Amino acid sequence: MTKRIALAQLTSCWGCDQSLVDLHLGLLTVLPEIEIVFWPAVVDFKLKDLESMPDQSIHIGLVEGSCRTEEDVHLLNVMREKSKTLVAWGVCSCYGGIQGLANQWNLEELVDRKFMKADTVTDPRVPSENVPVFTETVQPNVDIVEFDVLLPGCPPTSKNLLDALTALISGKPFDLPEKSVCDQCSKVKQDKHIKEFHRTHEGHIDPSKCLLDQGYLCLGFATIGLCGAICPNVNTPCKGCFGPVIRVRDHGAKIISALGAVAEMEPDKLRESFPDPIGSFYFTDYAASYLSRIRTETRRKKKK
Amino acid sequence: MTGEKTVKISPVTRLEGHGDITIKLGKDGKVKDAQFNITSTRFFEKFLEGRFAEEAPRFAPRICGICPEPHHLASVKAVEDAWGITPPAAAVKVRRLLINAKQLSSHALHFFALAAPDFLVGPFAEPAKRNLVTIVKAMPDVGKMALQMMQFGQELAAAIGGTAIHPVTAIPGGMLNPFSEENRDKFLKQIADIRQWTADTLTLAKKVFDDYWDTITKLGVVQTYYIGTHNNGAHEIYDGSIRVMDPEGSVVADIKPKDYRKCFAEYVPEHSYATHVYYKPVGYPDGVWRAGTLARTNVVDKMATPLAQEAFEEMRNRLGHPIHATFAYHWARIVELVQAMEELEILLKDPQIVSKDIKLSVVEPKKGDGVGCVEAPRGTLIHHYWTDEQGIITKANMIVATNNNVGGIEKTLMEVAKQVFEQRAHQKLKLPKPMIG
Repeated sequence: MTKRIALAQLTSCWGCDQSLVDLHLGLLTVLPEIEIVFWPAVVDFKLKDLESMPDQSIHIGLVEGSCRTEEDVHLLNVMREKSKTLVAWGVCSCYGGIQGLANQWNLEELVDRKFMKADTVTDPRVPSENVPVFTETVQPNVDIVEFDVLLPGCPPTSKNLLDALTALISGKPFDLPEKSVCDQCSKVKQDKHIKEFHRTHEGHIDPSKCLLDQGYLCLGFATIGLCGAICPNVNTPCKGCFGPVIRVRDHGAKIISALGAVAEMEPDKLRESFPDPIGSFYFTDYAASYLSRIRTETRRKKKK
Repeated sequence: MTGEKTVKISPVTRLEGHGDITIKLGKDGKVKDAQFNITSTRFFEKFLEGRFAEEAPRFAPRICGICPEPHHLASVKAVEDAWGITPPAAAVKVRRLLINAKQLSSHALHFFALAAPDFLVGPFAEPAKRNLVTIVKAMPDVGKMALQMMQFGQELAAAIGGTAIHPVTAIPGGMLNPFSEENRDKFLKQIADIRQWTADTLTLAKKVFDDYWDTITKLGVVQTYYIGTHNNGAHEIYDGSIRVMDPEGSVVADIKPKDYRKCFAEYVPEHSYATHVYYKPVGYPDGVWRAGTLARTNVVDKMATPLAQEAFEEMRNRLGHPIHATFAYHWARIVELVQAMEELEILLKDPQIVSKDIKLSVVEPKKGDGVGCVEAPRGTLIHHYWTDEQGIITKANMIVATNNNVGGIEKTLMEVAKQVFEQRAHQKLKLPKPMIG
């Protein structure tokens, strides 16, 4: 029996969808197993088609993106109602994504910068007709509805998607790996004695050695091993875009505590090396951090 | 017609991004308003503030998952401009290879997955059938060819950028990873197939244009300004000057990207979170321009490569200049697809493409501002950053391809809505029997 599959996009970049399309010829093996009942990126079904489906009538629902508007929240809730198995597809869905960094500011400041104060804007106003209202903050979708499966990644690789879909189509569970990016990385590692951190544009990275050993902030040690160590393999530090290793609730906190242990530097010097801790340690999962949650709570209390 | 009516399409499908269409009809049946509602935004300009500028090329690709390479490169160019850096020549060649790989895969994706279902399955086919999946099932050779072209582009982009979504290797001062000889040989071996598939796509596309000639020349033909990049008059997507063309076909501005604020202005509509970018000296809405494939082929004098030039001349011979027919965007897309293939072949055969000299040893941040401009598949893309002495971003302004197009899309939407609701023009068009019945 073919499985009924729905794929929904909340506010996002579409990269998760592109990654699925990037199965290319691999799609030919998946397509006969499924019936796509909703996927606006590729297929012409509308929101009302999804809304009119019976509850629990979709075998596998995948939701990418995060809720930046009330319309996103509505679509997320509809997907939950209609799906038997709901998959948080990509890091936005699991942890809020890069747009979670916007939580550093109030909604008013964000709107002001974009619509009122952008350099090239000539007619400043805040749009309000036929557009949904913004959510106050970006929250991980898993804080809004219950999910059955998590598949982080920015985006999850085509292989990750194939693995997850193949398992779910055949009714098997899909579990996240225990591994970190470091476990998947082939670079030669030594005992860590970091005396100084370099910024990525400085000097030349030795392609044979661990980037962190060389003093480049590579976050593979704290990041879930799903990508196959893509970035270190091309001489580029891991920025942690797939989110934390499993059972870690706060990616940045984990990174900071680990750096304290391996950096042989005065605390002040270590702090000076990272003037933007949020951008450095919470690339795509700030919305899931304790810091962001506390800020959100404080703002909510102030508003009351 | 008995009363006022609103026609709503939610969401617009086979679209990258989030949008609705709202058409308002009056009691007399006349179209009162046609809106393209972009229904979300993420506030990138704000949350880039405070970041290390050299990491902006890691943040920027996440603006768009189908065109992350242009964002990666516009971003790195903006930082290099702000810091006064010129990357090594070999690094620039690798970047050109990257952006052309994306151009190829994106144009194939756009043509086959987003656009072709309307033509091959037919505009009045049931929605459940009007998609790439149907094409793959009903025309397996075409489907397979489309998937393999996309695959080639995406895999080449991944070989350079680490991953096609989202690339990571461009850094102020060059590239972090050389393009290996092994990869060069691997992709060069596939070039003959790509050349053949590109030619086959052009043949298929021309048949579609012939079949739908009535539609192309009658539906949604709107006069706007056009914007695109050129290098001495030739079509260019990585680095050049920006031309603005008026609806009569005269070049009214030719500027360096750094001066974009002389020509670019953003109008904020009441009904969309995407601003409408327009030609500033003329004002809004008369100065609304369009960007992307058709706009680029309108503003240039010629293509940069011979086969693309042939395809370009045929398009101009048949449709004139400037071309205002919105459906001709697809034709121009195929002309550009041909050029991307030829550029890739030239670059892959260039001995310097595998050079190890791809990054400056010394790169110093400084206070300043810089503009990076490239052509994304769907239009001119500008990143503008201000950095402090430590090289931290203090402000960012971005004009993305979508915003360069939404004003024009809405103008086209109004025209088509009038044609459809007031004149029933869609019922009078000569339509072929769809290839997929």
